[in-house]
Amino acid sequence: MAILFKNFRLNILNLGPLILLYYISISEIDTYFSNFFEILSFNLQIAIIYYWMLKNQSVIGNGHIFLAGIINDVVMGLPLGLSSISYLTVSFVASYVRNVTVNISLFTDWFTFILAIFFSNLVLVIFIYNFSQIKLEYTDIFYNAFFTFLFYPAVWGIFNFYSKMMVLKHDD
Amino acid sequence: MSTSREDFGIAVRSALLKKGARQKFSLFFLFIISTIIFFLDFYNVKGIKLTKNLISDGLYRVSNIATSPFKLFTYTKEGASDLIFTYKENKLLKDEIERLRKEEFQVEYLTNQNDNLKKILESDTNTLSESTLAKVLIDKNSPFLKSIIINRGSSSGIAKGMPVLDGNYLVGRIVEVNFLSSRVLLLNDLNSRIPVTFGEKSNQAILTGKGGRDPAMEYLPETYEAEPNISVFTSGKDGVLIPGLPIGKTIVEEKSIKVKLFSDPNQLSFVTVQLTDAKKENF
Repeated sequence: MAILFKNFRLNILNLGPLILLYYISISEIDTYFSNFFEILSFNLQIAIIYYWMLKNQSVIGNGHIFLAGIINDVVMGLPLGLSSISYLTVSFVASYVRNVTVNISLFTDWFTFILAIFFSNLVLVIFIYNFSQIKLEYTDIFYNAFFTFLFYPAVWGIFNFYSKMMVLKHDD
Repeated sequence: MSTSREDFGIAVRSALLKKGARQKFSLFFLFIISTIIFFLDFYNVKGIKLTKNLISDGLYRVSNIATSPFKLFTYTKEGASDLIFTYKENKLLKDEIERLRKEEFQVEYLTNQNDNLKKILESDTNTLSESTLAKVLIDKNSPFLKSIIINRGSSSGIAKGMPVLDGNYLVGRIVEVNFLSSRVLLLNDLNSRIPVTFGEKSNQAILTGKGGRDPAMEYLPETYEAEPNISVFTSGKDGVLIPGLPIGKTIVEEKSIKVKLFSDPNQLSFVTVQLTDAKKENF
């Protein structure tokens, strides 16, 4: 019974990042804090995807990233598939960085995260401006990208602490 | 040089095509699927619209349930504060203020519109008609898009373009209708455009969302001199919105005239949808 409970607890812990990703996509939890500071907003989904795709790809699979994107599109009222493309771009950059780097540290992660943010927002903007009637402000996207980049070390620290509680399977 | 290029190619190929033992799909495959879904939605293919409506109806409700613990916390907090500040008296006073405000707007509007009233009444726009009360299911605050989801859809007679009110004040209009839910584009969204009228001369303008808290007025008369604290109403010139719905009061800023909305778009829990004849999609 004790072993069963322990396994269950570990499974739940391992599913934590995935649950968080889905929960942020589906719920009303905001990462936009206009009440405190009008331009303060960040994209937590991107940070979650980037961290875990670098750290261990078995925690958040590409299929889940795709689904979370679809859910986010429905909830936010964006054209279907747009967030998926944007999130998968982040996953692609993370996979590429993982292939070409040996040591993982906060600073290498943080600075390569710029590439992930840049490409994911670039893809988003290209698709919206060419194939959608939605209007977006470049400045809003820039602020969002900037604060996402700025807060990444905090997210990194929290997930790093969290990952120590998990029993991670060997990555492929 | 060629070696580094080859390395780059290998790394990219590996990132795109490698599945791994626990991954069912490669990134490349999912990119293709996402792009196909995006274009199916963009070209409004028959099946995808119906599927999207069904998914939306389901997801909005799941989202509402998922957020209920946080909502419960907010409601409890509000309930406690109401009790502290003598709930009943406060409510009565609020109702009284609301009634007086409504009368004040009516008087102001009728005075300002005196010259144009006949024209407006003769136009084919609708007067206040049937309405339906709706609960706000999702109020996700995004830096890009400002919209809410309500629990009424085409089954309740809702159609695209219908005005949505919070009490007596306009907060937005319907932009997406599913069977059991709808999306309301709020006035402060970047994509929102509402024809409005204001001031003694019944000036006409377009109220444009700027993404921030307060929408701005555009296409003002050339000779117009900005004045603060002037009430702004819908003009009904689009043929869909009812004329005379109060929106907010003007704020004069350095380069623009903004409108402080009477109803805070971030604090909506119940709204009313005016079931006007919104067949013309002038938005």
